[in-house]
Amino acid sequence: MKPKLTTFLHGLFLLAIAVVILFPLYWMVASSFKPSGQIFQMPPAWLFHPQLHGYGAAIREGDMLRALLNSVIVTLGAVALGIAVGAPAAYGLARYSFKGSAQVQFWYVTNWMLVPVVVLIPFYLLASDLRLINNPIVLIVIYQTFVVPLVVWLLVDQFRAVPVALEEAALLDGMSRFGIFLRITLPLTLPGMTVAAILAGIFAWNDLLYAFILTPSDFARTAPTVMMTYLGGYIIPWGRVMASAVMITGPVVIGGIAIHKYIARGLTLGAVK
Amino acid sequence: MAEIQIEGVTKRYAATEVLKRLDLNVTQGEFMVLLGPSGCGKTTLLRMIAGLETPSTGRILMNGQDITLAPPAKRDVGMVFQSYALYPHMTVRQNISLGLRLRKIDEKEITRRIEFVANLVQIAPYLDRKPRALSGGQRQRVALARVIAREPSVSLMDEPLSNIDAQLRMVMRAELLRIHRKVGMTTIYVTHDQEEAMGLGDRITVMNFGHVEQIGAPDEIYSRPANAFVARFIGAPRMNLINARYRAGANSIEAPGIHAPFSASEFSAPSGESIILGFRGEDATPGEAAAGEVTIEGRIDVVEHLGAQMEVHLRLDDGQEAVLRRPRNESWREGDRMRLVVPARNLHLFDAESGAALRTAYH
Repeated sequence: MKPKLTTFLHGLFLLAIAVVILFPLYWMVASSFKPSGQIFQMPPAWLFHPQLHGYGAAIREGDMLRALLNSVIVTLGAVALGIAVGAPAAYGLARYSFKGSAQVQFWYVTNWMLVPVVVLIPFYLLASDLRLINNPIVLIVIYQTFVVPLVVWLLVDQFRAVPVALEEAALLDGMSRFGIFLRITLPLTLPGMTVAAILAGIFAWNDLLYAFILTPSDFARTAPTVMMTYLGGYIIPWGRVMASAVMITGPVVIGGIAIHKYIARGLTLGAVK
Repeated sequence: MAEIQIEGVTKRYAATEVLKRLDLNVTQGEFMVLLGPSGCGKTTLLRMIAGLETPSTGRILMNGQDITLAPPAKRDVGMVFQSYALYPHMTVRQNISLGLRLRKIDEKEITRRIEFVANLVQIAPYLDRKPRALSGGQRQRVALARVIAREPSVSLMDEPLSNIDAQLRMVMRAELLRIHRKVGMTTIYVTHDQEEAMGLGDRITVMNFGHVEQIGAPDEIYSRPANAFVARFIGAPRMNLINARYRAGANSIEAPGIHAPFSASEFSAPSGESIILGFRGEDATPGEAAAGEVTIEGRIDVVEHLGAQMEVHLRLDDGQEAVLRRPRNESWREGDRMRLVVPARNLHLFDAESGAALRTAYH
């Protein structure tokens, strides 16, 4: 009897947490499909005729598709550059101990803790001098301030987990240093690499602050920035807001589900023994 | 096939000297075992031959050619790692063929070699599995196959049997010998297990604290240890070493319960009066001494039954201990007195201070 009761309570507790987390998501998705009159109806309209008004308005008037494309460009660019710079840095820190290597590693981590708004104005002045305002490159580069530390922080341990003996065996097999990194170390750290890439991608995708200031024009806006433009008038177009929110949140949720599998696997592969 | 010469190699890490001006020759086709306690520098030496470490001073020659600073890939050496170091994301076949592909060996030859080594080490059924799906012994065989397939001039093995269980280790040891006889590769094998060293080596290099204590064939090292360290390290149970005094006037070596007549011509003079007298348990028999024999007497402290034999711990009158094994049908009891006889030719003498062997003649 008793174990059954605790199982039941356990389940109830989990259910409660799930409701707290999932209800806002449900509300967002449901509202995006509701006719505007029913969004604030009380009691809530649990049953309604779904319609795509909100999405149509977001795409037509908010130019959401272009904004999403801009977001994709900036996110992919930031992740690619972050991995290209961060992975070799992490590899170096993991494999070679040199004077100050611990400090360098700590410096990366502290950079990650930087409050974004603190460097916003210097970055703006710099971007303006370089005539990079409204250019996606400026976001890609500035995101590295946060993406590279994240990648380094996650990957140093990943590389450390790959036994040195594997690389030495490859060295004796006649492989070059870079070949070893590419063909032995990289495949073995792919799960960790994926987690780092997705977390970095979520950061870049979600950023509002830098995008709002550095790419303000209609043609250069990223998706989260578009949301801000909805808030300027006398009435807030909630259907459109919710539809845009769904389009922005969708990829993040998918990304989260994708890394969940890797994190559950514990990020280890059991390479030797 | 190649010979290796190590000339005056020293290795320092910061303040610690791991190897001290070490010299060693490994001849063509030889199975050389580097034996010593952990931290004696044997693995460091192996890694320097592989090119994974660089000597601080000294030279390493392969077939007379200086390879001290050559990168690992240019040395034509293969290595079996203690952890096997199989590439986990590749199949057994890919593990073996990678080194061959990188050396631009043609596909037909690669296929032939894979087939040959797979049969040699009996892994043919597992060629398309990944290392994860193999047992420890099978991984061991794959690691061996990977090196043999490369046909390197020298194969290096770093405690390859230390990660598998005792029974399998015996099987693999015999297997290693069989393969070595068949392939005839120059092999340098690192272990801390003296029994493994005795069983495998054509010659053994006994190392301690970064220098060589003795180099020789297993039998030579066993019967003529160059010093007390080697005497203590080789053989199970280990050699009994008894602290004694050399009485020059009486021409004898004495300790309580021991009397050993010796003339000064049979050994070089010790640095002081103290001397270490050594004998192996199997050279001692219970009984009365005849001419030229040495007697050792004490009280039996502990008798351990080991199945076919029993291990008798003898305590000399001054508290020193000697251990020997006797057949199980003898009836030794704790508390009994026991008198042992050792032929003088089986007695070892070491300087108490330097540990160096003192006997000039064994007869």
